[in-house]
Amino acid sequence: MIRVVTLDPVDAGDLAFLCRTLYQAFGLGTELSGERKRPAGADEKDGRVDAERLLREAGAPRVIADDKVLFVTAADLSVRPGPLGEPPAWGFAQYGGQRAVVSTRRLPARGVSEASIEAWRRRLAREAIHVVGHLWDLHHCYDARCAMHPSWSPSLPANPDADLCNFCREKSERKVRMAKT
Amino acid sequence: MKAQDQRPEDTSASGDGTIADPGSLRPGERVVYPNQGVCQVVGVETQEIAGQRLELLRMVREEDGAAVLVPRGKVAAVGLRRVASRDYVEGVFHFLAAQAENPELDWKIRHRDNADRLVVGGVLGVAEVVKGLHALSHIRPLPTKEREQYDGARHLLVAEVAAALGVPEGLAEDYVDHALLPPAGTRFQLRPPPKPVVLPLRPRHRPERRADVELDLDTLGLELELPEAAVAAVGAEGEVAPAEEGALAEGVEQAPEEEAAGAGPAEKETARERVKGKGRGKAGERVKARAPARKGKAPPKKAARQAPKKAPKPRKGAKR
Repeated sequence: MIRVVTLDPVDAGDLAFLCRTLYQAFGLGTELSGERKRPAGADEKDGRVDAERLLREAGAPRVIADDKVLFVTAADLSVRPGPLGEPPAWGFAQYGGQRAVVSTRRLPARGVSEASIEAWRRRLAREAIHVVGHLWDLHHCYDARCAMHPSWSPSLPANPDADLCNFCREKSERKVRMAKT
Repeated sequence: MKAQDQRPEDTSASGDGTIADPGSLRPGERVVYPNQGVCQVVGVETQEIAGQRLELLRMVREEDGAAVLVPRGKVAAVGLRRVASRDYVEGVFHFLAAQAENPELDWKIRHRDNADRLVVGGVLGVAEVVKGLHALSHIRPLPTKEREQYDGARHLLVAEVAAALGVPEGLAEDYVDHALLPPAGTRFQLRPPPKPVVLPLRPRHRPERRADVELDLDTLGLELELPEAAVAAVGAEGEVAPAEEGALAEGVEQAPEEEAAGAGPAEKETARERVKGKGRGKAGERVKARAPARKGKAPPKKAARQAPKKAPKPRKGAKR
């Protein structure tokens, strides 16, 4: 089961689309598990939010063994800089763990037209699949059409598919089957 | 294992810290088992296996808690090494961010070299595999085996980077792809990367064939499968006489020439080409072509050709 928790207000239609897409991508039940407050301890001086600390400190709904929790936030996420600098963060996940967060901050403008809203929802769903994929031990994929392709890649198409490639899909299905529940 | 026997003794150049003396390992220490990932040392224990008392180094794989047991004497041979240092891993990132070389296009050489790199190359060898296959994926999609190899190498690299830098694996993965696929407009101040991994020496070409070695089907690894009826027929009739065999075989070779004799110019040309092309066929094709001749059965076409011809009609006005 994938449980979606919002840390900032999100449109109900967007959340319904997100749950439906996650269900289609992983074949797992997905449900909204309410709202929580964003932990104050995760805020940084530059106004961004430390993604690692947010996942540690955010209050989560009651979960059982292999449930995954996806937090949705509007805050700009930050991660520790690496040897070549700080990679941009659309989301962050505890690899092979239970919690992931996705941010709407870096997504393109939502707009007001049906087409732009649809594109925005698809992009949000793509980032959500990406971080939940990390929870199921998926690595980044070189295929630009796959949801596991790095979010900052220049080869990412303008309207990316909110879906996994065959390899990643089979791997995730294998992991889901092997899960305890 | 041949590849490991030829591994250079001095591993300090590659910075991978291969462990030669298992006595230096302490419980709780983190080590890397090639192709398996980061493990934690539990200790040394003695077990009796097949009547032999063996001292085994027990480790636990961090990823899933699987137990790994290695005989003390084999620790150096399996390529067990310490987790790479932070400085060395930073060098690996500079290697990942540098411009990729042209990937090896011969899949056999590429697959063998990549397998060697994963075993003897340390963290840099794993990074070379990831970078090489990543560069290749820009040219064409990877075949299934290499896609799995790419994913496995990426898994090992992420685990070791995470262990070396003390960050979660999700973040280590982002670091790796930040170097491999930098965002648009990003320019890194790169240092010279570490020396590339020295692969074990292996013959690149087939060994030369000696003149005194006789080539038969067994030597070539070929197996001629004849139908049971044909084998039984040969067993009953005995060996075909060499002259007859030669005549039959010759008949097979010459058949197109005979056809050409009574055909038009275009058909003659086609028949000559067929005769020329006969010698260029694969060994298996020649065996198949000759097999019916050995059995003493003429091919159906030849049988038709050998039928008695009708007497030619006399020309008008010819004297009898």
